[in-house]
Amino acid sequence: MNSELWAQPIETLAPSIRAGKLSPVTLVEACLERIEKTDTRLNSFIHVSAHALDAARIAAREIEQGKWRGPLHGIPIGMKDNYLTHDMPTTAGSSAPGLSFPLRDSAAAARLRAAGAVLIGKTRTHEFAWGNVTPPVCNPWDLTRVPSGSSGGSGAAVAAGLCAAALGSDTGGSIRMPASACGTVGLKPTFGRVSRAGIVPHSWSLDHAGPLTSTVADAAHLLQVLAGYDPSDPACQDQRVPDYSQALGKPVKGLTVGVCRNHFFEHLQEDVERAVEHAIADLAQAGATVRELRIPLLEYGLGAIFAIELASSTAYHDRSLQAGRVAHYQSDVRTLVEIGRFVTGADYLKAEQFRRALMDEFAKLFETVDVVLGPTTPITAWKRGEWTVQVAGKPESVLAASWRFTYPYNLTGLPAISVPCGFDRDGLPIGLQIAARPFDETTLLRVAHAYERRHDWTDRRPNL
Amino acid sequence: MDPYKDLLGIDLPLERLQHDLAAYRDILEQIRKLRELDLTDVHPAVVFEPTAPYREDSAE
Repeated sequence: MNSELWAQPIETLAPSIRAGKLSPVTLVEACLERIEKTDTRLNSFIHVSAHALDAARIAAREIEQGKWRGPLHGIPIGMKDNYLTHDMPTTAGSSAPGLSFPLRDSAAAARLRAAGAVLIGKTRTHEFAWGNVTPPVCNPWDLTRVPSGSSGGSGAAVAAGLCAAALGSDTGGSIRMPASACGTVGLKPTFGRVSRAGIVPHSWSLDHAGPLTSTVADAAHLLQVLAGYDPSDPACQDQRVPDYSQALGKPVKGLTVGVCRNHFFEHLQEDVERAVEHAIADLAQAGATVRELRIPLLEYGLGAIFAIELASSTAYHDRSLQAGRVAHYQSDVRTLVEIGRFVTGADYLKAEQFRRALMDEFAKLFETVDVVLGPTTPITAWKRGEWTVQVAGKPESVLAASWRFTYPYNLTGLPAISVPCGFDRDGLPIGLQIAARPFDETTLLRVAHAYERRHDWTDRRPNL
Repeated sequence: MDPYKDLLGIDLPLERLQHDLAAYRDILEQIRKLRELDLTDVHPAVVFEPTAPYREDSAE
């Protein structure tokens, strides 16, 4: 049984653990063994916890005593290396001298521990979550390709079965892009739904915390634990947390699915387009009404997110910039931090004006649809070392291409999920992105789960 | 170089500055497009809240 444990989702593992058929110790040992065996090739973990087995033993004892805490009890979970943890070092992916982060739990780590989860290690991030490559992590479906990023370590680790789930952070798509590239589910909840306290900031008004998981039901389990008010995060909202499991298994009949034909269907790889069109047809066949629409304002979005993200990141790194420490950052990150100085105050505020206008456009749209659906990314995983890719016959930088469909939901703060929806001609995963109204993760999960159940995409695992 | 240094608030060698300006070119093109929009009557998505430090549960 041990040899297959790593391939099972939480929704299968949790009932076995609860019933005493599976010990958390056996499960954590299986994951540690798999990390040891495969992560020399993937490089998805930067640190493996020395305390994971002890935590698993405590979980096993509690469950034996009838103190089952919920579906995450005894489940091994990876933490992106920008979440503070009291028992594992945090580097935010940087080896620049003079930087250190405190040994204390982020709000998310504390919530997971309280739910009985075993924090098995820290997954690699692109330095300061400012990029989409996550070196030196490899994509488990093709080791010559990137896992995307910035939560690339989490995407690779979950896809490879090194942990049952992992946390990521998402400023322009950094949960959903690696989920799409690695063939996992990736959920970016509504801005304010999950506390970011104790996560190394990248861009305060764009950063979101959320999980990467094997299935939609697993994402619901993680969100159930992570969601809730936390005054330590000034953006966190005191909104009721619904029972997300209620979203699962419900039909999509009666729901209206919006398909935004401009922006989200422009300049994308043929295989990606085909897979997403199939997904739309699937949902229509399942009883959803499909409504086509357009949001012309999206044409101006890239300048807005660049202005906000660059200026914010540079403000965060200001001390390091003044001290000359950024010279020790990775070359691409150093450049981004330095050029943030070129964004003027007027440009930044114009971007914030644009953001409000875009939020209004989406609010109008959500008067007539329940979700908006499209590809997560226009491209599948690209080769390591490539900085330009061919998209629909034209060269485009990976920085511009990869987040083109994800960043609108960081600007608007709307919840969005990526679910696997097929493979391209090279056997690389493709992601379907679904977005919903603010704090309506229930409908998001309902549609994602209904789609997932019609296929076996999430059952497939890379051959490592 | 001094005007650049004062305006940008960073002290970079000319070569490095040129490198960064080249890297910024495509982004600036996008920001130029944004500048074309007339958003005069749109309040930015930034709200100043002077009561925030006085909230009982404030972390400040």
